[in-house]
Amino acid sequence: MLKTWVVVKREFLSRVRTKWFVVSTVLGPILMAALIFLPILMATSGGRERSVAVVDVSSSDFGSRVAEMIAGPGTISAVRLGVDVTDLESAGDSLAEVVGLKRLDGFLIVSDETLQDGRAEYRGSNVSTQMDMEVLRRRLREAVLTERLDRMGVDPALVEQARIPIEMRTVNIRGGETTEESGEAMFWLAYLMWFILYMAILLYGVQVMGAVVEEKTTRVVEVLVSSLRPFQLLAGKVIGVGAVGLFQLALWAAAGRLLLTRRELVTVFGVDQAVVQGLSLPDIPIATIVVMLTYFVLGYFLYAALFAAVAATSSSEAEARQAQAPVTILFMIPAILSLMSMISEPDGTLFVTLTMVPLSSPIAMPGRWVVSDVPITQLLASVALLIVALVAVTWLAGRIYRVGILMYGKRPGLGELMRWVKAG
Amino acid sequence: MTDDFVVEVRGVTKTYAGHTAVRDLDLMVPRGSVYGLLGPNGAGKTTTIRMIMDIIAPDVGSIRLLGKDRSGRDLSHRIGYLPEERGIYRKMKVLDLLVFLARIKGVDSSAAKAGATEWLEKLGLGDWVDKKVDDLSKGMQQKVQFISTMLHEPELVILDEPFAGLDPVNTQVMKDVLVELSRAGTTTLFSTHILEQAEKLCDSVCIIARGSKVLDGTVAEVKRGHSGRHVVVAVERGFESVRALLNDPKLVAKSDNYGQYAELELAEGADPQLLLRGLVNAGAAITRFEIAEPTLNKVFIDLVGAEAATAVAEEDLVSA
Repeated sequence: MLKTWVVVKREFLSRVRTKWFVVSTVLGPILMAALIFLPILMATSGGRERSVAVVDVSSSDFGSRVAEMIAGPGTISAVRLGVDVTDLESAGDSLAEVVGLKRLDGFLIVSDETLQDGRAEYRGSNVSTQMDMEVLRRRLREAVLTERLDRMGVDPALVEQARIPIEMRTVNIRGGETTEESGEAMFWLAYLMWFILYMAILLYGVQVMGAVVEEKTTRVVEVLVSSLRPFQLLAGKVIGVGAVGLFQLALWAAAGRLLLTRRELVTVFGVDQAVVQGLSLPDIPIATIVVMLTYFVLGYFLYAALFAAVAATSSSEAEARQAQAPVTILFMIPAILSLMSMISEPDGTLFVTLTMVPLSSPIAMPGRWVVSDVPITQLLASVALLIVALVAVTWLAGRIYRVGILMYGKRPGLGELMRWVKAG
Repeated sequence: MTDDFVVEVRGVTKTYAGHTAVRDLDLMVPRGSVYGLLGPNGAGKTTTIRMIMDIIAPDVGSIRLLGKDRSGRDLSHRIGYLPEERGIYRKMKVLDLLVFLARIKGVDSSAAKAGATEWLEKLGLGDWVDKKVDDLSKGMQQKVQFISTMLHEPELVILDEPFAGLDPVNTQVMKDVLVELSRAGTTTLFSTHILEQAEKLCDSVCIIARGSKVLDGTVAEVKRGHSGRHVVVAVERGFESVRALLNDPKLVAKSDNYGQYAELELAEGADPQLLLRGLVNAGAAITRFEIAEPTLNKVFIDLVGAEAATAVAEEDLVSA
């Protein structure tokens, strides 16, 4: 035990003292903040102004209403061009040339049909920009609705009232109690946790692999195993690297807390003060932190053991990088499935299953814990399954490691690996 | 069983994927001795040493160290080990590294620090204490690793090819340290295929080839087994008159005729005096008759010479 501790200490100190650690610790939160705020930044500043022409081939002045509506609040400018139906083709061609010259982003063709059965056409250079199209579609719909009501002789004041948008606040109920958490904020928290767990497990798992290969290629390992049991060495390594990971997460958490409590600091990223203040991130309860840490530690151990076994079968860094692919895929596929199913159906069978299966539960369960109400029995069952898997994987990896660290030359096949596991 | 032997290897066999690296080996290292494990490349020296250190487990047989049934790892604070493949953490500072390697043997931190500093001074590395291992020359790195095997004042030192890759100056340093340790009562077991070094340093040797023991005992015993059987003979006017005598298989097992003189290996149980009498009776004018003391090298080549070449080819199998 004492010997393992000595290994843990060396591993921890030698890593924390590197430039890599300092750089990644500083850059980590900046990158993460950028990842969070960049979309907001882009959404609010919206990039450059769009200009759209409304080609009106209707028999009325309907196009003016559309143009007025599209130009509404925001960054789109719109002008109406009245065009006769017979001239539409040639008008379309010349407008396309204007779009080609980048003077115009595109043009919307509205006609009497638009009012009757809702058909319209937009041609432009920005048709694949989802947000632009969404705005256009919404505003056109409103213009059509208003025009129709108007024509039926409905009082304009009434129409105005009918157009008041709905704002629905979402509040989470957890364990039968209403909380202060908003649905959106919880989703973002779950996403953030997924992201952190994904990065941390992969990053530190790969570091364990690097450490094992390094000891093997520099041949330090034989000196070490003359004093230490291979398992003590492996445990010391995995715990040491994991401690670095936890330390780094703690530093980031502290930085994140600072950003949340003193939001004015975020303005260094150029984000509008009001937007930042309006961003509601929930208070993270202790239980959530405990769940996340538990799954991080168990998940990290599980994958670190696998990475260590892979490293033990390789004789060089390059070989290990190739050999790690199966483990990385084993991690990435459940991780990405978890994220997708968490977004689409957080109470669905797939996501619930993923939170129970040991290979995916470390990354899926913390997210599920945040977005929905997890029965405590399921949580305990998931942790128990993960621990059982961890013991089994560690046993297996330890046996491969023990033989592998002293083997050089050709990488073993599956049959050879089985023999290693069975040996002694 | 007894405290007279610090290493007791009994009936040990180790097989790798169908290739037998060590076969039914017995090896007893007396307390306080300097013991040489000799053999050509691929003979099974490293495998034997790794089994003694419990880095790998024997398939059959038992190993006891320091009179105890515990493994080399449990006793690692009493044993110093220098593996054949040298390796140290390159990014660590020299002192930190030595302290770490001592700590995993169970030496406490302050004792390790004091010991390391003392040894570094002694081997002329005093100025390098706070330098990274990477900044050291190869020879210095070897010294640092050597220190790590001695630092905790072990009773038993096991060195796998300690002189490999050392320049003459460092070889001398290494030898001096070994002699000093031996005087202080430390038992040393080392492997080598350089016989001159073994002859100068060892009290006892064990010669192995292709995983099996060929011969063991004190250096004197080993030589005695072969002494009196090597005879150098020179006669005037050539060997024509005594050819029949030299070809007598009851007397001579092997003869190398160099023209001016012949080197003979006597047959099992043959008396050199009988040969001398025979030569005199045959009327040969003898100019030289010498019962030669064989070098360890000669014994070694006699015993394993033919096998050595084939053993080298199998080396890959042993380490693979």
